[in-house]
Amino acid sequence: MLAIETCGLTRLFDGKPAVDGLDLRVPEGAFYGFLGPNGAGKSTTMRMLTGLLAPSAGGALILGRDLSRDGIAVKRLVGSVPDGLALFERLTGAEQLRLSGQLYGLDRATARLRAEELLEALELADDAGKLVQDYSHGMKKKLALGCALIHGPRLLFLDEPFEGIDALAVSGIRAMLQDLVSRGQMTIFLTSHVLEVVERLATHVGIIHRGRLVRQGTLAEIRASGTLEESFLASVGEERASPQPLSWLDGSKAVTG
Amino acid sequence: MSGSRPRPASGLAAVVELRFLLAWRRLRAPGGTAEGVARVVMYAMAVPLGLAFAALVAAGSYRAARIGVGIQVAIPVSAIFFGLWQTWTAVSLVLSEREGLDLRRFLGYPLPLGRVWLFGLASSIAADPFALFWLLLLGGGLVGAAAARPGLWLLPLALDMALFAVATAALVALLQEVLARLLRLRLARELAILAGVAGWLLLLGASRLPLRQVGAILGKAQWAFFPPALASLAARHLYAGRVGAALPSLALLLAAGAATAWVAWRLALRGVLSGEEGRAASPRAAASARPPWTDRLGPLLGKEVRYLVRHPVPRVSLLFMPLLAAALAWKVAPALPEEAAPVLRALPLFGLPALSYLVVQDLWLNSFGLDRGGARALFLAPLPADRLLLAKNAAMAALAAALLLASAVPWLLIAGRPPAWAFLAVLALQGALAPVLLGLGNLVAVLNPRPGTFSYQRGKGAAALSSLAGMGIFSAGTGLMAAPVILAVRLDDPWALAGGWAAIGLGAVAVYRRTLPLAGALLHRRREHLLAAVCGDDL
Repeated sequence: MLAIETCGLTRLFDGKPAVDGLDLRVPEGAFYGFLGPNGAGKSTTMRMLTGLLAPSAGGALILGRDLSRDGIAVKRLVGSVPDGLALFERLTGAEQLRLSGQLYGLDRATARLRAEELLEALELADDAGKLVQDYSHGMKKKLALGCALIHGPRLLFLDEPFEGIDALAVSGIRAMLQDLVSRGQMTIFLTSHVLEVVERLATHVGIIHRGRLVRQGTLAEIRASGTLEESFLASVGEERASPQPLSWLDGSKAVTG
Repeated sequence: MSGSRPRPASGLAAVVELRFLLAWRRLRAPGGTAEGVARVVMYAMAVPLGLAFAALVAAGSYRAARIGVGIQVAIPVSAIFFGLWQTWTAVSLVLSEREGLDLRRFLGYPLPLGRVWLFGLASSIAADPFALFWLLLLGGGLVGAAAARPGLWLLPLALDMALFAVATAALVALLQEVLARLLRLRLARELAILAGVAGWLLLLGASRLPLRQVGAILGKAQWAFFPPALASLAARHLYAGRVGAALPSLALLLAAGAATAWVAWRLALRGVLSGEEGRAASPRAAASARPPWTDRLGPLLGKEVRYLVRHPVPRVSLLFMPLLAAALAWKVAPALPEEAAPVLRALPLFGLPALSYLVVQDLWLNSFGLDRGGARALFLAPLPADRLLLAKNAAMAALAAALLLASAVPWLLIAGRPPAWAFLAVLALQGALAPVLLGLGNLVAVLNPRPGTFSYQRGKGAAALSSLAGMGIFSAGTGLMAAPVILAVRLDDPWALAGGWAAIGLGAVAVYRRTLPLAGALLHRRREHLLAAVCGDDL
């Protein structure tokens, strides 16, 4: 069974396609790395798949359910860490987690128990009573991940989960994600600019460029005989960029005040 | 590129340009045209209204300049300055947009922050539609004086008015800084309630003093409000033709205004450098036990209540409403003629339910604004959109009820227990207004959202379009509620009032229930626009 299946998924902004006829196939239990240069349409795709944006054309089946017709039921099965996060800054970390659990249908006691467990696992227990606005960026990312996990989703969407956080936090989150996928109970759909992260974690890869899906397959198929970076650059039709020196920073011109 | 270092002056020009650009972009953004039209309409309303009042002030000033000295000069001159100062301060604290004074966004740039702050202060006088209204009134005073007695004495009078305007703006800025600091305290709510109680006790005490004693106390207390006190003292001397005698007051006004501006600036700078700006007090670590809600409306409602409790506007309103109720019970209600119908004599009491929604209207007209990035969580969760609106409306109705309850205490202390029909009518009106105002407010919140803030004084002004829509909703709501008043007066039966409002309330609840799914569908359709507006999603 496919966790995500899209058919001609399209989104136009001011008549211009940000995502153009996307046909994604994400197998259940996969760790799917969704790659693309800046502005390729990764976040727009994710917003459509999580119900934050309506497609201009095409449709999506999420875990076998039609997203446009059965949106509420789909959302029950899905967790999401969107770009820009989805946190209430004026709630404490503990309140935020418990609220998320309850919004996804958990009873209060279960939500509280799971929130406590998540706070421990994410090493946020000492800051559970602090307002989210006082959290560092890395702490917010971890908390957002906790909110996405608290109801035990079957499919997890992660938009740039490692952006702006330190190596220690990256390592912790990566270990947690690997553990989730290795148990075979969850599908993860992840966008990232960091190819090394995707190469280390993903079982499947899709590459989007200018709104179109240019390659899709298992990591081994995409990598073929080279590295993921080489395949990625070849897929988006770009050469490895050679640094172009900036005229005023070449060391020969003094800055005058 | 030459590599020359930009000078601060060009940086300030960039600040001015940035503000114009931001305003221009706002007008060109989706919904910006409607926003622009609303702003023009507000100006169009402010200018003729300002001119009408300016004509009255001009007439008073003309008369004062003709008479020159005596009580007939002292009273109108003091009334003009004290009246202007009161309304200017109150409106600025409650309504005006203060983003110009927000130094946080300029901290990273090599700009002299003092000048940026002064620029903000100047724009709060010259580029604020409300300030335009006060300036028109001051201008009317000058024109009236010039018509009565042309001469060089008008120059110090103009200076007096200009210094008054600057000192008032500086004092407002200082009050905003102090208020913002108080609201960041952990005990802000308790302090506000304590201050409210102290205010009632003072009012009660003052009501028992002889009039002459009250006058003497007020005479001494006026110096705490130095802009109108010094400006009116200087103006009285000028109207009497004693320019030399006015100079010390003018010098004092200049010095006090400058000192106030300096203190406000230092507080603003300290606040922004400490990183405390915009933060609220942390809640107590241990959450108190709450009823076990099983439905998902419960957690949503819990979140809404927490947000309202942590927002400064409800806290300030909990202080402001009882004071207003005390003033209504003390001064307005007894002033109504004895022979008037009982229903009409109780009208000040019936103003309280309307006020309980009015003082927090910025919150329910923009009910998703405070959620910011959290709004995404609401749309990611498996929730029907109408549930979101219902939870927000329920929390707001509870807040309005709390405000009414808080204002009932001073009313009962001062005016005594109202008759049973009036008590029931207040409850019926409170209940009837909720579905009418909040139901219509949902449309504004969905169609014209904007990012909200928890900071009391930073850019908290409502969107012009929302303010205009709020006026319309209030006019419609109060117009609807006027029908039972007319009926009760005609029938000479006060009980018809409670019955009428209860009937309207029941009808409004039925309409609300029928239309809530439609509003939810609208919210679902408009979610992209709403998220773009409140979270800053780049679509």
